[in-house]
Amino acid sequence: MAQNTAAAPAQQKPKKEKRSQFSGMSKALVRRETISAYLFLLPSLVFFVSFVVVPMFICVIYSFMEYGLGGIKGFAGLDNYIKLFQDSIFHRGFLNTVLIVVVAVPTVTAFSLWVSSAIYKMHSVPRSFFRCVFYLPVVTGSVAITVVWKWILHPYYGLLNQLVGTDGFDWLGTSSTAIWFIILILFTTSIGQPIVLYVAALGNVDQSLVEAAQVDGATKLQVFWKIKWPQIMPTTLYVLVITTINSFQCFALIQLLTKGGPLNSTMTIMYQVYDTAYRLNDLGYANAIGVILAIIIAIFSAIQFKVVKTD
Amino acid sequence: MKMKKPLALLLAVGLTLGLAACGSGNNSQGGSQTPAGGSETGGGASTGAVELSLWSFNIGGFTDAAAWDSIVAAFNEANPDITVTVTPINYQDGDQKLTTAISSNNAPDIIFEGPERIVGNYAREGLMVDLGDLWSASGSDIAEGISSVSQLDGTYYMYPLSVAAHCMAINYEAFEAAGALQYLDETTRTWTTDNFVKAMEAVRDAIDAGTIDITVPGIIYCGAQGGDQGTRALVNNLYSDYYVNEDGTSYLANSENNVKALTLLQDMVNNKSMSANASFAAADELQAFANQTAAVTFCWNYSNYTQYAEQTQFTPFAMAFPSDDGVPELEMAGPYGFGIFNNGDEAKIEAAKKFVDFVCNDQAAGTDAVKVTGFFPVHSDWGDVYADAEDADVRAPFALMSDYLGRYYALTGGWTEQRALWWPMLAEIMTTGADVQTAADNFVQQANANIG
Amino acid sequence: MKAKTTDLSGTSTGYKVFAAVVLILLAIFFLFPLYWIVTGSFKDAIEINAKYPIWFPQNPTVDNYARLFEHPAFKWLFNIVFISAMAMILTCLTAALAGYALGKKRFYGRAILFTIIICAMALPKQVIVIPLLQEMTFFHMNDNLWAVILPTVGWPFGVFLMKQFSETIPNEILEAARVDGAGELRTFFSVVFPMIKPGIGALAIFTFVNTWNDYFLQLVMLTSDKNWTLPLAIANLQGEMSSDFGLIMAGAALAAIPIVVVFIAFQKYFTQGIAMGAVKG
Repeated sequence: MAQNTAAAPAQQKPKKEKRSQFSGMSKALVRRETISAYLFLLPSLVFFVSFVVVPMFICVIYSFMEYGLGGIKGFAGLDNYIKLFQDSIFHRGFLNTVLIVVVAVPTVTAFSLWVSSAIYKMHSVPRSFFRCVFYLPVVTGSVAITVVWKWILHPYYGLLNQLVGTDGFDWLGTSSTAIWFIILILFTTSIGQPIVLYVAALGNVDQSLVEAAQVDGATKLQVFWKIKWPQIMPTTLYVLVITTINSFQCFALIQLLTKGGPLNSTMTIMYQVYDTAYRLNDLGYANAIGVILAIIIAIFSAIQFKVVKTD
Repeated sequence: MKMKKPLALLLAVGLTLGLAACGSGNNSQGGSQTPAGGSETGGGASTGAVELSLWSFNIGGFTDAAAWDSIVAAFNEANPDITVTVTPINYQDGDQKLTTAISSNNAPDIIFEGPERIVGNYAREGLMVDLGDLWSASGSDIAEGISSVSQLDGTYYMYPLSVAAHCMAINYEAFEAAGALQYLDETTRTWTTDNFVKAMEAVRDAIDAGTIDITVPGIIYCGAQGGDQGTRALVNNLYSDYYVNEDGTSYLANSENNVKALTLLQDMVNNKSMSANASFAAADELQAFANQTAAVTFCWNYSNYTQYAEQTQFTPFAMAFPSDDGVPELEMAGPYGFGIFNNGDEAKIEAAKKFVDFVCNDQAAGTDAVKVTGFFPVHSDWGDVYADAEDADVRAPFALMSDYLGRYYALTGGWTEQRALWWPMLAEIMTTGADVQTAADNFVQQANANIG
Repeated sequence: MKAKTTDLSGTSTGYKVFAAVVLILLAIFFLFPLYWIVTGSFKDAIEINAKYPIWFPQNPTVDNYARLFEHPAFKWLFNIVFISAMAMILTCLTAALAGYALGKKRFYGRAILFTIIICAMALPKQVIVIPLLQEMTFFHMNDNLWAVILPTVGWPFGVFLMKQFSETIPNEILEAARVDGAGELRTFFSVVFPMIKPGIGALAIFTFVNTWNDYFLQLVMLTSDKNWTLPLAIANLQGEMSSDFGLIMAGAALAAIPIVVVFIAFQKYFTQGIAMGAVKG
């Protein structure tokens, strides 16, 4: 499959790849296919290029500018990038971003797989019930959810302190705990979609293969890894992709709960982009941070695809 | 190489079509909007018709567009050709909306805010119109303190409407039950630092004894920059120091007296006569005051009084910030007024000036507008606009606070940047027990870096 | 551990009980916010801000809803439904065409195009928002519902998803259609489209929900209150000095209901959609 390698850096062995992609096709056919393919792609590319590629390109240009509210003041060269590598808030934001992604993505994936495996064999009514329940935080909207969580975590009359007996503890106001609650809330708003997907995928695993394996005396562990896991692989890929996107884009929670604090303990790269652009009005620097974030995300996505797709 | 050519071509085609698609999308939407706007622009066909956009921060009662309706209607009686469309914005995302609009050449014509943004942010970037003609025509009775903050390098960029002083408030009944009222002067609404400490300790003891149903004496909020005028004023007044030195060249958080004040507050947090929360913004602290979790608030004014009136089941008693000599210096709330963005259209600028002149200088219209803000007119010869108001007695204490107005800092260089440093510094000192002098030195060093 | 749990039949009773208890506790945990929001929307100002939890409104009131409808709340609801629905339709249409081409066609530039799409998929809109806004001004689309819709459609996730689905179409079927003399478009609409329909269902619900929740893009693009969306309005109702929590709860409840309905209505398609994707590895 040619697309296996497609996610890897493109320049790598292009000749070999091309040969495998077009093997057995005449030149005329290749040309006809190429033209028709681009016609199919055209409507989508119009939007993609206009509203993602072009703005990203402009971002890169701005990142080399000294750019404030009054407009572009001049060419900054690499100043914005040099500033970035010396900026301790950026370092903190980088580590926090990595932490959120590295903790949230596997947890969400594993946990939603566990919940799905526990409910997919249920009668359709409880199954639908659980599926809906876990989906609720997704559809309730982040503003209302954060209002509720703020109350749960309130230091003076929050539910958590009453349950745990830690009177007056400020969960969101303490550097060591705040980020974990951001991750927890992100987690609750992220698992709905994966559960729905996994329940469907597990329900469609080829039962005859499972039975055949059981007849052959395979343990449950073997049945899962050898038979079910490969069959739900496309779903896992999808889950990884959307969870990664969710984690990188975790914005509303931070904006509405901590604004990056206390002491930058919940600062993420994305929140810093926002904060730099909108509160400090340093648009050039904000774009430089944005470009670095885009590069980090691209690398992360490429690695993820490489890892998942090599089977 | 081969595959790049079609791709490049495609990108070009895609972009062109993208533009076309957007254009048409715009037209259809524009078409559907016309009928909606039609009623407002009744006389729009006549020559000289101007459409103005006014972006209004939610100051006092100006929380939605409807609050402006009667003022705009009155203006239109004299100026039927000028349409004013109001967009309400708030302090949560107002900066973002303005940055967005300005950076995409889509700034409003008029903005309703204070000098911090109009003069400090936007005029400094060369975005505002010179309002000197309005000032020379009608600004002679406006106090020196207000006129000085409406200008930058001698040019007026803001025209003010109303002003007030930021103060604090106590839960009167709780203080009474805790026997803490003896430490304050109810007539002048002032107290000394020593008495403030004693009062807070009395409240703490009453909480411990179960005499009053309050959770903590007071909360130093350090979770966001909103309402930081309260924590600034608290720290600066305790030992009668300032936030910025007289010539605006340095922040003073690490001065001897301010460090003394910060240390006092840190000690109060340690002995539980005060509390501090790094997850609290001003709104959280006010909410805690309103539902009797805390016995004082450091962020009080008439507007907050009315917003919480429905849920406060006690008497919020406005107080000046405590100071060692008992003579407080309060920060100005506002002055709130108008700035005009220079969008390059002379007709719009002229029309916008007419509007600002009408709202701020026409005594009838201006009085109405001032009343919506809940503050006090900047024109000293308008007298007491609330004299026959229903709640004149509630307003009186806030009028009293105006006597204690102190220096205005918000035009100091690097103001926006230092606001982002102040609350993390407080959080560090108050919630992690950091060394006060070190934290304050750090703050001043970073804040001063942006001052030039 | 996980492997054991994937098949509950024949697992020990102890584990079953454990799983059931955990699930029920989790369900309560996940239901709680919505419960709090809905009950909160019927509380008065004193109860909703009380420092002791009030589990059920003591003096139920519809005042919050009355205040909500003093604002153009239905217009806000219409706006968000319009934005989400248009983004959904356009995304499904363009992504189905593009995904098919990427999944089933061999052509020059395919590898690099797919790589770009993968890399752009997780790109937060915060990064590109300033140029995006300038583009919108250039097209005179400021403060316009389409300014939210078009960038949403530009997001390449749908193309990726539809490519994954299209790949599962057996080549023999496409070959057969070609032998029968069907043109490209006819092949797509009469052969491919029915086969990837479940995938389109999945993409539809995903796009709808995501657009609905895309607080940031709405926040930057829509300024005047007649163009606000319901989720945006809820956020805007929070003030710096005070928040009308009753109003926020009422707005959140009103915003949650339509989307729960959409979710339940599309649940069937969603389930089928993944069934397709799971057939082939």
